Amino acid sequence: MSNFTDHLWTDLVREHGPTLAQVDRPKPGPARVLRRPPVLAGGTLALAGVGAALVLALGGPAATPAFAITTNSDGVLLKLNINSSLPQANAKLASMGIHEAIGIQMASGPATVSGPVTCTPQAGVTGPPVKVLDGPNGTEVISPGQTGGNTGVGTWHLASCSVFSSTGETSAGNSGNSGNPAATVIAEPSTKPVPGGTAVPVAPAGSVSSGPSGNSGNTGGG
Amino acid sequence: MNTETTTLVTARLQRPVARRARLPGRPPSSPVEEFEQVYLRNVDVLMGYFARRCRDPQTVADLTSETFVRAVDGFAGFDPRRGSDRAWLFGIAARVFARYCEQSAGGRDAVARLGGHRLLDEDEIEELTERIDAEREGAALMQRWAQLPAVERAAIELVDLEELSPKEAALALGVSRVAFRKRLSRARSRLRKEDHSNE
Repeated sequence: MSNFTDHLWTDLVREHGPTLAQVDRPKPGPARVLRRPPVLAGGTLALAGVGAALVLALGGPAATPAFAITTNSDGVLLKLNINSSLPQANAKLASMGIHEAIGIQMASGPATVSGPVTCTPQAGVTGPPVKVLDGPNGTEVISPGQTGGNTGVGTWHLASCSVFSSTGETSAGNSGNSGNPAATVIAEPSTKPVPGGTAVPVAPAGSVSSGPSGNSGNTGGG
Repeated sequence: MNTETTTLVTARLQRPVARRARLPGRPPSSPVEEFEQVYLRNVDVLMGYFARRCRDPQTVADLTSETFVRAVDGFAGFDPRRGSDRAWLFGIAARVFARYCEQSAGGRDAVARLGGHRLLDEDEIEELTERIDAEREGAALMQRWAQLPAVERAAIELVDLEELSPKEAALALGVSRVAFRKRLSRARSRLRKEDHSNE
């Protein structure tokens, strides 16, 4: 260890040790893996299984869609009920022919101003304006028991938002609040909340065809 | 936080890091100890990551510090069963650096969370300057890759320079493994073409 790394560790523990000491860490054990329904077997039984799975996903108690995309002449509004669904939302934008990808950064605590946050377009973004609404009014609450290992439990709000071009160059975001347009709404089934409460800039629309796999739960740190 | 816990944390502070690093690899007994292990495994690699991007020792120090401060904030959400701590930290580091660039461009103070900028002493400056020099080759590679789109550059850096597995790198960048492999393949293909055209 060097002087610098020694000093940094000392500073970290002095400033943040009390916070760290109280962190609720995931208990050791096998990770929960999202499994796909066995739809490839074919035949009547398999099809019946698929039907049941859809009913559970769409009509069960956890039926709140993970995200919803609304488009109208004012632009795009992404409503994130679970912020970890951002990759899927970006994939959906791409499939809609909107060649923009959204990157968000979460912060702990409730939003000081309710409503959607306007995303800052990066240079080169030519698509429609994008706004993101996290949770019902800008605040997302992840309750104990809602996530595996209780990761990400707490209250979160959107700290910043950016829109990236299909070339993938990055840019930083700002925030703001505005109205709530409505037109076309596309909903997706729920996914697991993001641990740590932060989502990261996601792939440009042109290069993403699917969201992260079930092992991508740590993308939200920081 | 009760007095006993505070005392425990303070006591940990008193012990030199190097000695703790040589402890046998037993499971951590507390979040502080677990985070310490994460820190020890990764602090050097992250310093290198920033040293390839910045020539100023103080900036390298600040960005490394900021990354770990953010890591502390997000530690509750980090689940090692879902991905490596290195991939998780690189994800944070990438965002810290992006924010630094943004704020630097705006003339604002970029990193000042760890009790403000802790000014480095002479030994630390010398140490970090040496580290920056040691990363000169990596920095040159980064410049060579400058013509690549940022996402492809990040993909090739994490895998070919930092030696993360494609799975870990995909995790760090927050993209699917399929999308990541496409980017990596595209980046390598571009660089191969460039090599051929330079021959």
